[in-house]
Amino acid sequence: MCLAIPMQVVEIKGGGDPLFDPQVALVENDGIRKEIRLEMADRVPAVGEYVIIHAGFAIRTLTEEEAEYNLSLMRQMATVLEEQGRLPEAPE
Amino acid sequence: MAQVLTIDPVTRIEGHARIKIHLDEQGRVSDARVAISALRGFEQFVVGRPAEEIPRIVSRICGICPWMHHLAAVKAIDGCFGVTPTPAGHRLRELCQVMAHIHDKILHFFFLAAPDFVLGPDSDFSVRNIMGMVRQDPELAARVVRMRQLGQVMLDRFAGKSIHPVAGVVGGFAKPMSAEERSDLQRDGATLLDFASFALDYAKERVFHRYREEMQSLGAITTGFLGTIDDQGGLQLYDGRLRLMHASGTTVDFPAADYAQHLSEQVEPWSSAKMVYAKSWQEGFSLDPAAPKGVYRVNTLARLNVCDHIGTPRAQAELEDFRAQFGRPAQGTLLYHWARLIELIYACERTQELLADDRITDPHIRNTATPQAGRGIGCVEAPRGTLIHEYATDDNGCITSANLIVGTTHNIAPMNLSVRQAAASLIHDGVYDEAILNRVEMAVRAYDP
Repeated sequence: MCLAIPMQVVEIKGGGDPLFDPQVALVENDGIRKEIRLEMADRVPAVGEYVIIHAGFAIRTLTEEEAEYNLSLMRQMATVLEEQGRLPEAPE
Repeated sequence: MAQVLTIDPVTRIEGHARIKIHLDEQGRVSDARVAISALRGFEQFVVGRPAEEIPRIVSRICGICPWMHHLAAVKAIDGCFGVTPTPAGHRLRELCQVMAHIHDKILHFFFLAAPDFVLGPDSDFSVRNIMGMVRQDPELAARVVRMRQLGQVMLDRFAGKSIHPVAGVVGGFAKPMSAEERSDLQRDGATLLDFASFALDYAKERVFHRYREEMQSLGAITTGFLGTIDDQGGLQLYDGRLRLMHASGTTVDFPAADYAQHLSEQVEPWSSAKMVYAKSWQEGFSLDPAAPKGVYRVNTLARLNVCDHIGTPRAQAELEDFRAQFGRPAQGTLLYHWARLIELIYACERTQELLADDRITDPHIRNTATPQAGRGIGCVEAPRGTLIHEYATDDNGCITSANLIVGTTHNIAPMNLSVRQAAASLIHDGVYDEAILNRVEMAVRAYDP
């Protein structure tokens, strides 16, 4: 099952041409930064907003408030697992 | 010297999958495995929470397929509280679900799969992506983006922001459909149906025939299949009975609530993810590539294999053409893509069919539900396969236990077999290159994990 972890937009780049130089977003979460494509998102997010990413594409923008709530649910899930000593490891 | 090749992460399935190919001292493939990062902890996390919150929470956590989890959960909670949704409630839920299928399929085929086929599996990684597609055919790329957005906008306009659906409620649906909403959706739905027909024609004429041999050979394995059908054996995405088909073609149909009598879950020592196998075949579970046991597949190809027919005309005509070429059950792994485009047509036709029925605007959208002790199983066909949510509640309607089987979980075992088959057939004497490794990835991408 795929967790929809929100990543925060730190920069919007490109945009010289809607087709050949589309806007892309530099996103960050937990120290990981990457560039993702925005063609599939509902709108171009603002810097500071969050996006949910699937396969290298932002599929949805989230406000900071929505993202914080989602992240808090995921942290609670991780806490439950930690208490049970079952925190998942990265896939081998 | 023996070595391990790691493809990490599988391109375009970022963060989800990793492939390891083991070569022996002679450079032959001795093993190959695909690991998928699995969600853990949800089942423990929801215990003690009010059941009616679960459909909203799960759509936030499983936000790649929010509508599928939202509806599987709400159906399960209907069962816990012993309430039957109104017919209009069911219709509106199904409408949202088939519309969610539409944009998922457009995303998967054109953005994730098509670069392999249109630009070719041997093309350089740096161009074998959506930008390469844009350069090759800007008009098509622009149309694809418009259509995918249209699918999403339709859903948003009617049911609210689709990444966090809240419109499915225990006992039915949260809001009725107005006449104006209905006619807007019909207009946009017609545009999407035209595009779906174009997409399959395009793929058949310009793409699939060039890879005819690979469509049937790459990652090819022989397995059973699982999907959902209606009383007449027709394809269903929202509700129906499950049909488990053995590779020989024999089938058994059963209510989703009986899933545990037919399917069994198990965790392999080398994988963090659980796997599911067909317990009722009574052959056990084995991933031995020479003689796999208990392995079945879900998702588009499986649904087309298990159904006797499709209840909408264009999709039915395409199913007949597909069966005439590939038989039933069709086993070729890359045929998942072809089946995906037939399902895209079905989802568009079904959207129009539901909207054409005057009962879609029936204002009686919800029956009253009272929190109570009970047990419920909700099942829908998600883009990645049969999705099962099971919950039990206490007297206050709070969750006491939960079990989820998601689409990809069913397909982890067959994905491992396909990757091993692809790697073993392509890598000889330890010789491999990027084009070979990409073909191994294509065997995974077909399943869309």
